[in-house]
Amino acid sequence: MTYQIADQPHDSALREYTVAPSAPLFAYMLCGAWLAWPWFAFNAFAMGSPTRRKELAVVAAGFVGTAVLAAIVIALVDRGLLPEGAPIRLAVLAVTAYKVVVSYYLHQLQSTTFEIYRYYGGPVRRSRFIVLAGYLLRGAVLGLVDSDLWVIVVSGAL
Amino acid sequence: MSDAHQISVLLAQADVQRRLGNRGGGIDLLRRALSLDPDHPRAHAALADHLLDARRLPAAGIEVRIALGLDGNDPYILQVAAAVLIAERKLDDAWAHCRIAMQGLAAPPDAFVLGALARQLLGDAAGARELVHEALARDAAHTGALTRLAWLEFDAGLYEAAARAAQAALEADPIDRDAHIIAGYIDLARGDTAAAEQHARFVLRHDASDTGSGLTLWTAVQARRSFVLGAWWRFNVWLTRGELGRRIGRLMALYLLARVAMIVTDELGLERVSITIAVAWIALCAYTWIAPRVFQGMLKRSLPPVSLDPDF
Repeated sequence: MTYQIADQPHDSALREYTVAPSAPLFAYMLCGAWLAWPWFAFNAFAMGSPTRRKELAVVAAGFVGTAVLAAIVIALVDRGLLPEGAPIRLAVLAVTAYKVVVSYYLHQLQSTTFEIYRYYGGPVRRSRFIVLAGYLLRGAVLGLVDSDLWVIVVSGAL
Repeated sequence: MSDAHQISVLLAQADVQRRLGNRGGGIDLLRRALSLDPDHPRAHAALADHLLDARRLPAAGIEVRIALGLDGNDPYILQVAAAVLIAERKLDDAWAHCRIAMQGLAAPPDAFVLGALARQLLGDAAGARELVHEALARDAAHTGALTRLAWLEFDAGLYEAAARAAQAALEADPIDRDAHIIAGYIDLARGDTAAAEQHARFVLRHDASDTGSGLTLWTAVQARRSFVLGAWWRFNVWLTRGELGRRIGRLMALYLLARVAMIVTDELGLERVSITIAVAWIALCAYTWIAPRVFQGMLKRSLPPVSLDPDF
């Protein structure tokens, strides 16, 4: 058995489905967190990333953190503590900024492993159709639940 | 062939591959060595050294700590540990390892050169100079020491003295890539782009990997010649320097600045200003998307064809 370096991807039965980490990042911007973050997590397992548990934890923290922040913003609005106009928009911006940080962090974390994965000849699948499909489905997903909390949690940066 | 002999051969082969600029090949050979003996301290240290060269710092950190755990007194392992700690910006710890490696009459000049780098990064240029001269007292033609001296003079803005040290390094070893790199940067600082390009060309011819500093020097040369390339290069250097946290912070600062400005101007009824900021933001996003592709295309066109040595 060959010695395994700590940052080297493990063998994975799903490696045929690996995409470049820029694909989920694009999916975040164009489609939303509903597609991007689970995709980041799946991609980590597909390429056998040694940090896959960390990536999964970041995804979970992303969803939980966004839900908590969004719930706080909604509660403040409902109680009239956050006036209409700029204050609400700035509060929602804070939630969006948190989501951008999570997405960019996941992208950077996965990019390091991806370069090594590619060096060892790992296959990389094209992803433009998934992003396109996600973009077309975006409206339907956002409208799936009639709740502001849902929209804030699953939406993207644009 | 015994395992111990086989490991020695693999370590030597890995070193040859590294000198040829084939870091991946060297790493693969060291993995084979560690498959034969996972507790071989020097193999772990050599792997850490190669990983550091390939800019795989977290893995290099793990490997060198295993090596230190197996044999914390080997000067070579201490040197690699110092190099990894310098890359991790743990400069005081690096200096502590250098001090141990520099002890004794038989201490290798390389340990002093690393110590000089640690002192230089700690802001002690005078201490760094002393250590470089100590290394040169042990070996007057030590390329690493002469190269470090050139960097010290270069950082002090003494380009003529830096050029003399770089020239001495190149005379000691005409194919030393680090010496060519500093010589290239000195030429670039003195405005001699053509000479800098010659050094970059030499390094690229001898280092086929895309993580080498030769590519960085080559890009710096090309960035001087092309506005598009130069603008992207400078923006990218600003955006991507430092730790991941700092990079994310810089990106978020840009993002929040644009968004807050858009919201505030919109709320103040300055719609046109808000739209202008939005358009500028979209233009910046488009630029950061398109520029790397243009940048890479220009770089590929400007790169000299790489010819591999027959024994690569």
